[in-house]
Amino acid sequence: MIESQRHSYHLVDPSPWPISGSLGALATTVGGVMYMHSFQGGATLLSLGLIFILYTMFVWWRDVLRESTLEGHHTKAVQLGPRYGSILFIVSEVMFLFAFFWASSHSSLAPTVEIGGIWPPKGIGVLDPWEIPFLNTPILPSSGAAVTWAHHAILAGKEKRAVYALVATVSLALVSTGFQGMEYYQAPSTISDSIYGSTFFLATGFHGFHVIIGTLFLIICGIRQYLGHLTKEHHVGFEAAAWYWHFVDVVRLFPFVSIYWWGGI
Amino acid sequence: MASSIVRSGFLLGAAACSRRGTTAGRRGFASSAHHDDAYEAAKWEKITYLGIATCTILSIYNLSKGHHHSPDPPAYPYLRIRTKEFPWGPDGLFEIKHHSEDHH
Repeated sequence: MIESQRHSYHLVDPSPWPISGSLGALATTVGGVMYMHSFQGGATLLSLGLIFILYTMFVWWRDVLRESTLEGHHTKAVQLGPRYGSILFIVSEVMFLFAFFWASSHSSLAPTVEIGGIWPPKGIGVLDPWEIPFLNTPILPSSGAAVTWAHHAILAGKEKRAVYALVATVSLALVSTGFQGMEYYQAPSTISDSIYGSTFFLATGFHGFHVIIGTLFLIICGIRQYLGHLTKEHHVGFEAAAWYWHFVDVVRLFPFVSIYWWGGI
Repeated sequence: MASSIVRSGFLLGAAACSRRGTTAGRRGFASSAHHDDAYEAAKWEKITYLGIATCTILSIYNLSKGHHHSPDPPAYPYLRIRTKEFPWGPDGLFEIKHHSEDHH
């Protein structure tokens, strides 16, 4: 056990999840390409690959929870790995979204003659930014306030309040996703409506995808908090979820200003 | 010898980082007294409720308005681009067109 090792690091046991994740990734990519080029079996391979990846994520992270919360391997030194890893991951996500904002600005700041030399292009029906987009814009920061409430509640040892706070955080997130779905359904333009549609739906779509992932992460934190896994000194998983959530929250403001508001006038 | 110096340097750095790391949450105050967290938790709870109230009012106001549908634009070549068919068929995800029987 951990008492018998004379160092504060975690030498992990051999595990099949890295290879299963890789096989899932291979199936997803090959299946995805096959599906998009209408090869037979593409859709099946793609679905199998995605299911495999999701399964690997579930079992891998379940192992991390077992090793940390239940077996006690996560000393302060070991915690640095997930801490810095989460920060670097969020930085990489910022870079990813930066690319999409660049693409949007590239096309919108100097609109080509083919789309009428104006932005939005001639004939594009634009959503009123002051309807659903403006509505969603305070919902996510309120959710951010709720996750901050949850964090302070955990630090103060108020475990039940922390569960309520996380329920509030997740509920606000789900409402926001619901409104975004409504907006997509009612949108007058589609992704295939010129470069406007492409950049709009890729930027907002990926942001929405990140909101869904963040919501799932927070739900898991809520369940763990309810089960008593998180303590006031040790809750790296929760902090990672909260940082991710604040990232999603702040990023939301950029598309609102640049794509919805500026891009529609 | 060199590796033990490196290791102890790393451990020192790790110890310094981890102390900063545990308070890297959302606490802006430097004090570590635990009653600060209860105060902060109550403060953020109130802010959350204020946010929920604002969002509810905005939702009711926004959703009670109808919105007009503008007429379809002319068929510009850069709209409804279909240079390659979608893998699932000719229509977009949210479109239900009735002409698709012709393609069977």
